[in-house]
Amino acid sequence: MKKIIFILLVILSGNMMAQSPYEKEMSKAMQLWSQQKNTEAVQLFERIASAEKDNWLPSYYAATVLIVEGFSIKDEVKLTTHLKRAQDLLDTANYISKSNPEIIITQAMLNTVYVAFDGQKYGMKYAGENAQLYAAALKIAPNNPRVVLGKAQWDIGAAAFFGQSTEPFCKEIKRAIELFKKEKQKEKFAPFGGVERAQQALKEQCVK
Amino acid sequence: MKKLLFFITAICQISLIAQTTVSGKVIDKKGEPIIGVNVYLDGTYDGTSTNEKGAFSFSTSEKGIQTLKISFVSYETYTKTADVKTFSKLLIKLREDVNTLDAVVLNAGTLEAGDNAKVTALKPLDIVTTAGAMGDFIGALQTLPGTSNVSEDGRLFVRGGEAGETQIFVDGIRVFTPYSPTPNNIPTRGRLSPFLFKGITFSTGGYSAEYGQALSSVLLLNSVDEPTEEKTDLSFMTLGLGLGNTEIWKNKSLSVNASYINLAPYNAAFPDNNVWQKSPEVFGGEMVYRQKMKNDGLLKLYGAFSYSDLDVTQEDINLVNGFRFGLKNRNLYFNTSYKGFLKNNWTFLMGLSFTNDHSDIKLQTDAVTNEENSAHFKVRLKRNINNRVKLNIGAEYFMTNVKENFKDVNSNNYKNGFDNNILGVFTEADILFSKNSAAKIGVRAEYSELLKESTISPRVSLAYKAGKNGQFSLAYGQFYQNPKNDYFKLNTNFKAENTSHTIANYQYVKNKQILRIEAYYKKYNDLVKYDTEFSEPTSIYTNDGFGYSKGLDVFWRDNNTFKNTDYWVSYSFLDSERDYKNYPNSATPSFVAKHNVSVVVKHFVTDWKSQIGMSYNYASGRNFTNPNLAGFLNDKVKSFNTVNANWAYLISQQKILYFSISNVLGTKNINGYQYANQPNNLGVFDRRAITPPADRFFFIGFFWTISDNKNDNQLNNL
Repeated sequence: MKKIIFILLVILSGNMMAQSPYEKEMSKAMQLWSQQKNTEAVQLFERIASAEKDNWLPSYYAATVLIVEGFSIKDEVKLTTHLKRAQDLLDTANYISKSNPEIIITQAMLNTVYVAFDGQKYGMKYAGENAQLYAAALKIAPNNPRVVLGKAQWDIGAAAFFGQSTEPFCKEIKRAIELFKKEKQKEKFAPFGGVERAQQALKEQCVK
Repeated sequence: MKKLLFFITAICQISLIAQTTVSGKVIDKKGEPIIGVNVYLDGTYDGTSTNEKGAFSFSTSEKGIQTLKISFVSYETYTKTADVKTFSKLLIKLREDVNTLDAVVLNAGTLEAGDNAKVTALKPLDIVTTAGAMGDFIGALQTLPGTSNVSEDGRLFVRGGEAGETQIFVDGIRVFTPYSPTPNNIPTRGRLSPFLFKGITFSTGGYSAEYGQALSSVLLLNSVDEPTEEKTDLSFMTLGLGLGNTEIWKNKSLSVNASYINLAPYNAAFPDNNVWQKSPEVFGGEMVYRQKMKNDGLLKLYGAFSYSDLDVTQEDINLVNGFRFGLKNRNLYFNTSYKGFLKNNWTFLMGLSFTNDHSDIKLQTDAVTNEENSAHFKVRLKRNINNRVKLNIGAEYFMTNVKENFKDVNSNNYKNGFDNNILGVFTEADILFSKNSAAKIGVRAEYSELLKESTISPRVSLAYKAGKNGQFSLAYGQFYQNPKNDYFKLNTNFKAENTSHTIANYQYVKNKQILRIEAYYKKYNDLVKYDTEFSEPTSIYTNDGFGYSKGLDVFWRDNNTFKNTDYWVSYSFLDSERDYKNYPNSATPSFVAKHNVSVVVKHFVTDWKSQIGMSYNYASGRNFTNPNLAGFLNDKVKSFNTVNANWAYLISQQKILYFSISNVLGTKNINGYQYANQPNNLGVFDRRAITPPADRFFFIGFFWTISDNKNDNQLNNL
């Protein structure tokens, strides 16, 4: 009998100890995202954000899912509606956590979706803004691999187009790879990793 | 021991029992289920999405008063605060969000440019990359439907209206002298730099009650709120030099531009049909200061100064030695606006502009000195009463003081001048009935101190969205404008001139393609008439003039069909007659062309890092009076044709080389004829064709932007 009680207690307490609701729901949302269930993932991140009003991560991830999805939208009205929603979420994240390099580079990525959709219309507005955003992020976090990679990729596109040497930016990508390898996650669910993206960029844009 | 076991199990049981189930169904206004709606208790982790039947159900351990939130893209978010126990078997009807991008837009008469517009006719870059526009935003707008090609003038002529019937506003505040002065038959340019604006709304009729003193059209320019980048711009052009700088601090920014234009080297290399004693020389400067206030308010200060000097002898059939025209003009313009937020969803705008314009004009042996001081004060309040009703009210005061001195060859001075002050008030409501139908209803009242007259102008605009991509719009309005300054100098016993606009519009927008068709009828009343060859102090003036314009404008823009190619086609059909000024009868004025066509093509060649642009303009022949025939405005010049080309070569991110040629084919265009005052020995009046100063115009410019982004700069040195 004692054993039964002991086991029961262990199960109960174990359940309580292992995961807070926040961790449980975040893991679930991450899983939905990895399964390409974007709508469900965004909604769950939004629900978590409603419960975690001082945490920038759920809004940040909800925005990120929408932004990445944005690259494949071909209808302008749909895209603008989509990105406006992402912008609102990102603004919420930014309000909670100011001068956060991860949020700054995500803002640059959001702008890039517009530019990729219609360079004529949005290029002039966002080219300067993005340069500014990446410079600001790099100033705050010179050794954040995602910042280093994001900036290098943004610059490399322009350099390749103008037939200039992409060498300094390839160096930066290589530096990002090294930084990725050394990176440790600060807190659970904090933006982390991306070395595959850097390796792919190096392969596609630097090794000819 | 058994007791303990029971106790533990009981606790588990209780926690299960304490769960409440939240359930229900989400439908739209037609009763159809909405799938995938986010349903959750605000501030908790409890929630779910609706299934394919629109149903949701989840359990929660929360108790007491909770807030249920139901949100879905393009619907208004539903919130209900009550005891969580009552959240079961709910039936929730979500209201459409009428402010989404695919909702109906009130846009009869309006063409938008800029990156924030729902439907963009012109993009920011178009203003500077349209062939033939020569970097002038007015030139780029002349490729849009509803405008007439009056190439000897260069200003905007909209739907059978004179240039003075279009008013230009920056951030809602009037620009009194938007064009640089030029001699006869030399087209003018807009004074404002296109790079300062993020959005342009060009309304060719039926516009909001917020704007008055414009019979035909308003052009609304919104300046950039926050520059994104600190930079220095250098431009080297065949016509002159430019220098710009933008500095950004935490909540403030300052942009400064200076330019120097001198046409002397160009006129020496490519002589035109004028004899220049002094080629045009223009010195201009602009500055914009913006500051964000603590409560999110935004202060903008805009100032511009320009000085121009020229002296020319132009061909004249009645003067063997030609007509001498000299001009020294000094223009100062300030525009300050403050936009702020008040309680209860009110936003307000306060603004004022001030213009001082001084010209010394030499006409043969006469000298004219003209000084204009004008100011505009405006207060506007806007309130979103709810998601569906928006209110806009305001008041404004225009002050104009003009003084002129005319000195003839014998040094006799003739002075004149006047004060023309106008008070205007307006109120307007935007009502969105649903995502598919909307109305704007407004009224404007004005009182002119000079005319001692009040006017009331009602304005209505309706829009109905039929299907996913198409929309119908209707607009009607009354518009008043005081007679132009040229008359006030001589007489002040007038009424305001009046037009009424009736507009029907259809617009179809799909994937980077826009089709817009607009039909209109515009009626003119109370136009100024006089009984002499020129308007003189001794002329008898009346307000008995009248007229009409009716027509059809078609616009097609396509950035989808051909890769890397963007093109648009505008066609305007215009039928207009008026009996005003000293017309003996109703006739089509000389600035009206029945058919106007513009085709603009831009093609980006990636391998050449170049954008190549072409434009073609056609205008059917315009009227002129041929004294060798009976009647008035009784003959037509041949049609106007011009092909323009430009080539922008991107040397690097920050360096652009730009070439442009207007009228590549060198077509001999004729804008009109000047006839001799007296017939020759055969009894025939001789004539001289009024042609553009030169058949072709060349422009080469090199533009260099230096930004603070260090990496970019290093890149150039590698």
